[in-house]
Amino acid sequence: MKNVIGSSVTRVEDARLLTGQGTYIDDIGVPPNTAHAAIVRSTYPHAIIKSIDVSEALLVPGVKGVITGREIEAYLNPFSVGVSAPVNYYPIAIDKVRYVGEPVAVIVAKDRYVAEDAAELVRVKYEPLQPIVDIEKTMDQDAPLLHENVGSNIANHRSFHYGDVDRAFNEADLIVKHKFHFPKYSATPVETYGIIAQYENSSDRYTIHANFHGPFIIQSVMAGALKIPSNRLRIIIPKDIGGSYGIKAGTFPYMVLLAVASRIAGCPVKWIEDRQEHLSASSSGTDRVTYIEAAVNEDGKVLGLKMKMMDNVGAYIRAPEPACLYRTHANTTGAYDIPNLKIDGYVVMTNKLPTGLIRGYGGQELYFPLERIMQMIAFKLHLDPVDVIQKNLIKTRQFPYQTASGGIYDSGDYERALQLALDTGRYKEFRKKQEEARGKGRIFGVGLACIVEPSGSNMGYITIALTPDERAASLPKSGCTEAATVSMDPMGFVNVRISTAPTGQGHETVTAQIVADVLQIPKEQINVVAELDTSTSPWSIASGSYSSRFASLGSSAVYLAAQKVKKKLLQIGAHHLQVPEEDLYFENAAILSKSDSSIRWPLKRAAGSAHWNPLSLPEGMEPGIYETYYYTAKIAEPPDQNDLINSSITYGFVADMVTVEIDPETGQVEILDYITIHDAGKLLNPLIVDGQIYGGLVHGLGGALYEELAYDEKGQFLTGTFMDYLCPTAPEIPNITIRHIETPSPVTPLGAKGLGEGNTMSAPVAIANAVSDALKPFGVTIDSLPLSPNKIWKLLSEQKAANTLKR
Amino acid sequence: MNGQGTLKLDAGIEKSWEILLDPHVLEKCIMGCKKLVLVSENTYNAELSIGIAAVKGKYESTIEIADLEEPKHYKLIVKGEGGPGNVEATGIIDLTPIDESSTELAYSYEAEVGGKVAMIGQRMLGGVAKLIIQDFFKKLARELKRIEA
Repeated sequence: MKNVIGSSVTRVEDARLLTGQGTYIDDIGVPPNTAHAAIVRSTYPHAIIKSIDVSEALLVPGVKGVITGREIEAYLNPFSVGVSAPVNYYPIAIDKVRYVGEPVAVIVAKDRYVAEDAAELVRVKYEPLQPIVDIEKTMDQDAPLLHENVGSNIANHRSFHYGDVDRAFNEADLIVKHKFHFPKYSATPVETYGIIAQYENSSDRYTIHANFHGPFIIQSVMAGALKIPSNRLRIIIPKDIGGSYGIKAGTFPYMVLLAVASRIAGCPVKWIEDRQEHLSASSSGTDRVTYIEAAVNEDGKVLGLKMKMMDNVGAYIRAPEPACLYRTHANTTGAYDIPNLKIDGYVVMTNKLPTGLIRGYGGQELYFPLERIMQMIAFKLHLDPVDVIQKNLIKTRQFPYQTASGGIYDSGDYERALQLALDTGRYKEFRKKQEEARGKGRIFGVGLACIVEPSGSNMGYITIALTPDERAASLPKSGCTEAATVSMDPMGFVNVRISTAPTGQGHETVTAQIVADVLQIPKEQINVVAELDTSTSPWSIASGSYSSRFASLGSSAVYLAAQKVKKKLLQIGAHHLQVPEEDLYFENAAILSKSDSSIRWPLKRAAGSAHWNPLSLPEGMEPGIYETYYYTAKIAEPPDQNDLINSSITYGFVADMVTVEIDPETGQVEILDYITIHDAGKLLNPLIVDGQIYGGLVHGLGGALYEELAYDEKGQFLTGTFMDYLCPTAPEIPNITIRHIETPSPVTPLGAKGLGEGNTMSAPVAIANAVSDALKPFGVTIDSLPLSPNKIWKLLSEQKAANTLKR
Repeated sequence: MNGQGTLKLDAGIEKSWEILLDPHVLEKCIMGCKKLVLVSENTYNAELSIGIAAVKGKYESTIEIADLEEPKHYKLIVKGEGGPGNVEATGIIDLTPIDESSTELAYSYEAEVGGKVAMIGQRMLGGVAKLIIQDFFKKLARELKRIEA
């Protein structure tokens, strides 16, 4: 049988999804007495709750209960979070609201219609307080305080110094610096949050069905908040999740809210979030201000970097924050060989929606200033940006490459990938075209981005938010554990259970490919079960769908679990056939002998004997075929005393070349061509890979040109519909050319790396670089996003006016 | 959000003043006003029912009349809260006589909205404010005509 790992097999998920047989959260049946919830939310960004009058709402026929923060508080601890600032975060406001959309009361009623009607009748009296939304101003001593007990709006601050930055800055020929602002934007899956929560008082136990996909470390956080032993919080995720792109990790506060609502109302409670709620009050990406300074030599070589980064986590810091700041810690210097690095990292709170995972998490925030400054260095030194990038790229012979902050880049050939981007995009030709176009008054530009794409997070990295002394006070955290179970039933058919909580990425398909390869059976015969159930699945704290961890970690667990099954079958075969184990191999669902072609024993017989006739098994062997493998990469160590941390397991590479034309009349940016070169090690399924790349790129395109969760200076949220919050749709998708190179990872057993997020990280800055390149003759520099026509038009007009004045 | 405008009232300044501040007239002329109750001198509680974009709902409001300089100047402070959000608006009104039977009214306003109204109605708010104001003065003119007649 041919190798199926690495081939473009079509997805096993698609038949059911395309024929309406997907099983999403809203397709799951509910117990007959299930009630439905609607949530009353704050209309103020910052206010004291003076009173909540629920009397009128309670009179609506069909209402089973109206639950306020005060009642819920009795059943909860605040959620724990990985910083020492004592921020009390509950899933509902108790005495104060801190962002528009914060839950204030939950209506539980016989149906959603009744619940929504009653929600309108809840009277909340507020005493408005001064709001604060600006990242830098919120750090001022006299800024309005969100959390009085914390004493400041800074939730976390750490400084890191690697190498000898002062020397680099003293010795450099020049210093290039700039301030950049990366906006708050979202992920907008078609399916919103959905939860069915049930409390059983007979056993003091919560069961929650939710389209939550981890990280499952949050199961511990939820159990802690609910004040119960963690095995009495059972989380079951549906077979299908209608997209997430990270944002559904933020379902957890609502899971806890609904769990307590079920407890108080005395019945199961179901809630499906609506679109306005999703945009205003689910979760979002993290907005960041970065001051970046590069110490540079005349030839473009960067000697050192200083970065002051300020992450805005919104009204409450909550898990997995402050991870946006630290997920990319090991790869802060990106694809470049820069040994001297200073990081000053702040995590601040403002009266905006709390943040969490979204695709690219931390990457786009990091690479926007880093790749912009590389272009600015080139412009300042009158060099081609290509030359500056090439001068600084890590060379192939340097792998495995240790970064300044402790990362271990496993493999790569960055120069080759960049060259492939330039060749594919015909860089030199475009430069000529650009020159000619300028003569005709047309504005063309080309942008580059070379980024390292981290995948498979080390659970230890989040503790870098604590000082080495603070870390020493608690147990160390490390690893990136993922688990899978491969079993064979009495008829010899294979079931695989995975805990990677896919949200549409095709994990079932790739799992079947891997197991098919190891056991040499047709992939169609392999049944993959991806519905994670914390009471019955093999899982650990790192389990779930985030940090592009399936290709690096999930696939490894599946592969190694299948290897355990193979080993057992080989032992059974050797015993039964009386042939040494080393002489046996698998082919076409049978055990064969290398030395004797007459020997052939069907695998299903071998597996069947472990069920039907266990006494025939080798001495001491357990009956049944049921093997679980818990995989972790050894390189996922906790941070050391010097704050060195390898925050991810594998590091892929993306080289982008984007060409744009800007309409001088309207400021509209048109993308002419988008070339993206990926190196994600060994590709497990190129078809799925390209699908992931398209999706990630379009999300990045949204961040570059369209998407922003906008607030006014008073903290009011302004983008609560898809008319106000603009997402790219099919007509906005440019020409995209994808090319791959494969330098297998030496870290993972299959040589694969994650790749779902690279262009979400690279596209915003690649496009910003293209626009900056286009507008260079006008003296316009891009340092914030999204690049809407009115923003470009304003920049152009201002600059034209300034230029006229100069003359 | 803010705006301003002027219009001509077909009544003398004293009469215009009287009508503008008559709660019965206000109740009739304010769009969606279901009830207007005097709670203390120059302060009313009003029940308003207005739809802005897709956001329809009831607002419990207070309307305060301040800075009274009879018959030429006053200020209206409106605060409303309801299911769809909250509104705070201030309007300044100046009257200048044109002749015996007509008066010029100049107004300016500033308004802030919060909650769902801001979230999904922001784009239309400018237009909605204009609509509400125009509607008010159209009805007021009708009232003036009715009373004059």
